[in-house]
Amino acid sequence: MNATTTNSALVEINDLHKNYGPNVQVLKGLNIDMMPGERVVVIGPSGGGKSTLLRVVMGLEQIQGGSLRFGGKPYITTKGSKTVIDSEVRKKIGMVFQHYTLFPHLSIMENLILAPRKVNGESRASARERGQKILERFGLAAKADAYPSQLSGGQKQRVAIARALMLDPKLMLFDEVTSALDPELVAEVEQVILNLAAQGMPMMMVTHDMWFARNVASRVIFCAGGVVVEDGPPEQVLGDPVEERTREFINRVFHIKA
Amino acid sequence: MGMTLDFSILLRFTDALAMGLWTTIKLTLLCVVLGTSLGFVIGLLRSNGNAFIRGALGLYVELFRGTPVLIQLFWIFFCLPLILGVEFSNFVSATIALTLYMGAITSETFRASLRSVGREQMDACVALGLPRSAQILNVILPQAVLRAVPTLLSNAVSLFKESALVSAVGMADLMFIGQNISNNTARPVEVLTVVAVIYFIIAFPLTRAVTVVEQKLLRKFSV
Repeated sequence: MNATTTNSALVEINDLHKNYGPNVQVLKGLNIDMMPGERVVVIGPSGGGKSTLLRVVMGLEQIQGGSLRFGGKPYITTKGSKTVIDSEVRKKIGMVFQHYTLFPHLSIMENLILAPRKVNGESRASARERGQKILERFGLAAKADAYPSQLSGGQKQRVAIARALMLDPKLMLFDEVTSALDPELVAEVEQVILNLAAQGMPMMMVTHDMWFARNVASRVIFCAGGVVVEDGPPEQVLGDPVEERTREFINRVFHIKA
Repeated sequence: MGMTLDFSILLRFTDALAMGLWTTIKLTLLCVVLGTSLGFVIGLLRSNGNAFIRGALGLYVELFRGTPVLIQLFWIFFCLPLILGVEFSNFVSATIALTLYMGAITSETFRASLRSVGREQMDACVALGLPRSAQILNVILPQAVLRAVPTLLSNAVSLFKESALVSAVGMADLMFIGQNISNNTARPVEVLTVVAVIYFIIAFPLTRAVTVVEQKLLRKFSV
């Protein structure tokens, strides 16, 4: 695919500035164009703004400057000190968080169908039918009536992915979705994401799992100090980085010095 | 001269004690329902309302939390009729006083439980595009109420015991009847012991129930 023109981008992030309070600048003029079908993995040191970037793309954060476009349309802009977010555009984006954030008082099925019913006005019966299908696909059909507290971390995270997919998103955001999991539960969640990737779902994610990053990414962005330091295919950024700061980071992640 | 305990004298007063207990239970139930409803509304308004409403309600809550219930009772019994120019029956005055007290206490319970539904749940709501009404009604409120249930139950048990204070303003509740019998028979040890046992027999299973409910809720709904 020829993806050199910016106006065909799925997500355009222009000169994004984000502060927490007056003294903490997290994003300092960040620019990313994400093409349709891309799977972008954002890596970098903690505090470098990776998770904040995803939260901004999800429309969860106020920004201090810059703008985002989605599918060619204006999505997030600033007006004076206010952040203006187009909530219709936001509906096209799904997000899965590190700590599952399932609704603990609702059964798994109710977790899945709440948003389709309240956001799209879908009937309970139709939403349940779709919910059942997606649970079957994820090997969780038997858990439809269970509550989140009765599930393992891996199962919870797969339900969280299923819940987001119920709304048919055009972009999925994954924010360190395996970081809270016991090691033996990581693979089942990563497999679901790899399957989604194989089906062509555009995604942007933050992960500390470099094996996973290499396997899922079509593009890796190294973010540090609130800006994009290096941006390229996984073989380059993870294998043979051009920038010195990326090289240092990758060396630290992959090599344990005696 | 040894004193012998004789509990049998209480058998003559079972009807009076039953009536006193019934008054105590009626008053407690009424004030639990009214006070908890009031507390719910106040808890919501103090979590979301504008600054003036928050300030006014905060003052009310702190006044009722920070003063003895007995003084609140006296105040409502003697001052409210003077201010409003209306006489209330003992039962109505006691209901107003304990409802206002219960409202202040439970509003803090609700406020804490609302706060305990974390920001992450709101993030999930926003990420799913849920409209504001569904965020509140389907996600935040049900969780806040569930988390509040154990504390609300123990608030209710406390009120059952604290309602004994209404005897001080002449209301014929279990405590008042007990004191009367004790004065008339000059048998305070037997009478007050039996009254205490009656309070305990009702309160103890309820406090046990609070623990059971708490554990059940925790098991089912903790994330």
